[in-house]
Amino acid sequence: MTHARRLTLAHLWLAFAAFAVACVLGVWQMWARSPLPAPLLTANAYFTSVTAHGVAMAYVLTTFMVMGFGYYVAETALGRPLPFPRIAWLAFLVGILGVAMAVVTIFGGTATVLFTFYPPLTASPWFYIGLVLVVAASWAWCGIMIAAMAGWKRENPGRPVPLAMFATVANAVMWLWTTVGVSAELVFQVIPAAFGWNLGIDVGLSRTLFSWTLHAIVYFWLIPSYIAFYTMAPQAAGGRLYSDTMGRLTFILFLIYSLPVGMHHLFMDPQQSNAFKFLQMSLTALVAAPTLLTVFTITASMEIAGRLRGGRGLFGWIAALPWERPMVLATGLAFFMLWFGGGGGLINMSYGMNAMVHNTSWVTAHFHLIFGGTVVIMYFAIAYAIWPTLTGRTPASLKAQRVQLWLWFIGMMVLTLPWHYLGLQGQWRRVATFNYADPIIAAWGPWVLVSFAGGLILLASAGLFIWNLLEFHRARAVAFSALRPLYAVAVHPPARVPAALNGFALWNVLVLVLMIAAYGYPIAQAFWINAPQAIIHRVDGRG
Amino acid sequence: MAVSEEAILRSELRWTIVVTGTITVIMVAILYAGIVHHINPPSNIETVDPKTLHLTGEFTEENLGTSIDAGGQITARMVATQFAFQPQCILLPANKRVTLRFASPDVIHGILVTGTNVNTMIVPGYVSQVHTVFTRTGDLLMPCHEYCGLGHSQMWATVRVVPEAEFKPDGSGRALCDAR
Amino acid sequence: MKPADLDDLDRPWRTWASLIIGGMLAFSIVMGFVVIPVVQGYGAGIDPFTAICRAVGLVPGSPSTRQPTSAAKAEPTTQVAWSTQLLRTLSRPTDMGAVVAEGCVACHGQRGIASDPQNPNLAGQSAVAIYKQLHDYKTGSRANDIMTPIAQTLEENQIRAVSVHFAAANRRSLDPTTAEVVDEDIVRLVERGDPARALPACNSCHGFSAGGPIETPTLSHQNREYLARQLRAFRDSSRRNDIYTRMRSVSAKLTDREINRLAEFYATTLQY
Repeated sequence: MTHARRLTLAHLWLAFAAFAVACVLGVWQMWARSPLPAPLLTANAYFTSVTAHGVAMAYVLTTFMVMGFGYYVAETALGRPLPFPRIAWLAFLVGILGVAMAVVTIFGGTATVLFTFYPPLTASPWFYIGLVLVVAASWAWCGIMIAAMAGWKRENPGRPVPLAMFATVANAVMWLWTTVGVSAELVFQVIPAAFGWNLGIDVGLSRTLFSWTLHAIVYFWLIPSYIAFYTMAPQAAGGRLYSDTMGRLTFILFLIYSLPVGMHHLFMDPQQSNAFKFLQMSLTALVAAPTLLTVFTITASMEIAGRLRGGRGLFGWIAALPWERPMVLATGLAFFMLWFGGGGGLINMSYGMNAMVHNTSWVTAHFHLIFGGTVVIMYFAIAYAIWPTLTGRTPASLKAQRVQLWLWFIGMMVLTLPWHYLGLQGQWRRVATFNYADPIIAAWGPWVLVSFAGGLILLASAGLFIWNLLEFHRARAVAFSALRPLYAVAVHPPARVPAALNGFALWNVLVLVLMIAAYGYPIAQAFWINAPQAIIHRVDGRG
Repeated sequence: MAVSEEAILRSELRWTIVVTGTITVIMVAILYAGIVHHINPPSNIETVDPKTLHLTGEFTEENLGTSIDAGGQITARMVATQFAFQPQCILLPANKRVTLRFASPDVIHGILVTGTNVNTMIVPGYVSQVHTVFTRTGDLLMPCHEYCGLGHSQMWATVRVVPEAEFKPDGSGRALCDAR
Repeated sequence: MKPADLDDLDRPWRTWASLIIGGMLAFSIVMGFVVIPVVQGYGAGIDPFTAICRAVGLVPGSPSTRQPTSAAKAEPTTQVAWSTQLLRTLSRPTDMGAVVAEGCVACHGQRGIASDPQNPNLAGQSAVAIYKQLHDYKTGSRANDIMTPIAQTLEENQIRAVSVHFAAANRRSLDPTTAEVVDEDIVRLVERGDPARALPACNSCHGFSAGGPIETPTLSHQNREYLARQLRAFRDSSRRNDIYTRMRSVSAKLTDREINRLAEFYATTLQY
């Protein structure tokens, strides 16, 4: 480990610091929504908090985690130094500058627009420019990832790129596609409006462009977790990856099907047509495929590990797995949450059933369970797995890590299961205070309190997580050679793979075809139906 | 390991068939809802100028609420504005097909009616239209479900569903909550 | 491994991937663009061509339902409509502003600060808000024995100029020591609203960075008597030039005490 070590530490600490702050805000928001009187509660404070929570969790935690982990994988999985380390550091500084701008505008009260870019409500331009800088930093990361893989391929002609790196580059390529939509919205519509150059905006177009990004961004956050499923979890369990080809196929399917499906966020919107909603809905159905394939392949890999450890019978291998290892435990808990969250997702994507749940607490519950649950618990596990290799230190006991993972899992279930239920009852999203004088809403009160309790458990877990990370900096030193390798080998490691499974040329062409089919007309229509513009509503006091 | 590469490939293929089958079942269910029950998301691409919404046409203040047209079609019109619905209550008959039309003069709003499948975004620049049949009578809660500004939490309206016999529009074909 | 062999290995992937994706697209297009709308349109008595056009978004409406008709003939509550051009002119000061303002000083004060608390202060008020009220007086959407005839003599460009003029003036300065300690429930109403009455926080429109309706006036530093009188006028609908009853519906839910105390609050606070 050379460059990437400090780079990874810097990125991950920034990510988890934002995460810790956002957890505190999240719990306060649950308190505000509950029947209990919350301190400091005003409408402005609540929505400022929601904005900060969303930006910290969805943009800062994720982007910096993905980048830091990517640098780490590029160096460790490829076994060669990271190319362009100076650019990587520069990108990090640009990203920090962007985060600082977002923090100043949010807490300065000039960006209370939540973390979704839905004009005509328009924040200070510096809020948007700050977030654009974060994205720009991630673009530099994408370039470095692609360059790292290309360099390795030049040195190793004909050999298959290690799966962890192949997946990381799949994520980088996908992210470049993903950010086109939101960048177009920000650069051509929102930022000119925020500066006051435009006073009107085509809202239908801005929502359509944002939807381009809105689904694939979730897969950007998710892929590090899937990399851990495919490479780190089987290794930690003492087994092998069942099928390397399935792993490659899964990441390719994510690249293809996470993009032309964003319109499922617009099912209830008046500016898009039934036909294109149907088209994107049927492509959305296919996004279930990579997840279902993963469930099978990883379960099979774990079974190999369990049987190698002496597990017998149909389910005996499960008990034989080394659950005391945080990576194995986290994978098990993540799969459990994926089961619930994925089931909920199938309901969201069905455009008839979507009307039952759109913009209710169901949706909030869904993405907290999938992202906050499955994805973030794997971020924890990844951190626990790679931190000893970053600091050369590891605590004597892993008990605190296991307790932290269990607390997170329990907290997330207690938080989200009542939320799902309340969403079906019609409890709507993004509300600071409910009218508990209404008998219907009063009946929701106890369930909101249960969710609040879940939030408190999550906060305890987050605190313990930070403490655990600090332990890696002050515990006893270990020799790097004593550390286990991180990435699993396949049962039958491929000697060579077709070009289609070793690069992204073919898949980029197919993504282009799909994006033209799915988004070509829905975006173009804005230019010929000429929807009347709405007047910008500024929230930064300049209007 | 005793597992041969062939066996792994076969098992993965078998599982792929299961995955394909699962997705097919979901798609068939959605197609069935669309073709047999005529389920559509609210998607009529009908533009309206949010800047002049209050000046002319169907979304002027006096024209809002429920009305029956010459063909007997029941339509309720509502404006979602910061931070209230106008009117704040609409009257509709149970067990009859009704059309709800919404527009916004300012920012993005959205509505759902609790306990029903009525749900739409209200995007300035477009008319949102939902077709439904209410089967339960009583006062239903209709909150704004998209963040529209600091008063979002206090923005809701009532859908008052009455038995068909009690739904009596006046001479001009209009029915309002207050008129009861 | 020769390049030709590699190509043999890769070709089936290329072919099958393209076929599967092409097939999915074709299936979705046939179903979503043709089959579903035609079947739905058939059930609703809509011809297939119209149904397909509606499904694809070329024609407004749903493929499964007849479009409702509207014969609206209602009087608007105000004739003012915001356009980007109008808003731009309301941010540009002109020389005409001070000239027109000469006619206002008797009641609204030399610098837009009224000596009689029955009259509103104009200094520091939003130009957009002043414009709307003057325009409404002129067209009769808002009535006042003194203001209506004055506004009727003003041309459109004079209204714009004078609005910008007063907006640029400095607000009344308050002595912080005279600011009254206001009841907690009034501060609550201002900052949080009252969920039980569906009352949004006053701040959600009138706050400094609220992002509420365009024409929202600022309230702090306004005169107590004027504010209370306007809230009552909205409450009994004797004033009705608020677009979509925004203020009528809010003030209808306020008690007399709340109206008085809110007017007091805004007249004496330095914040908001």
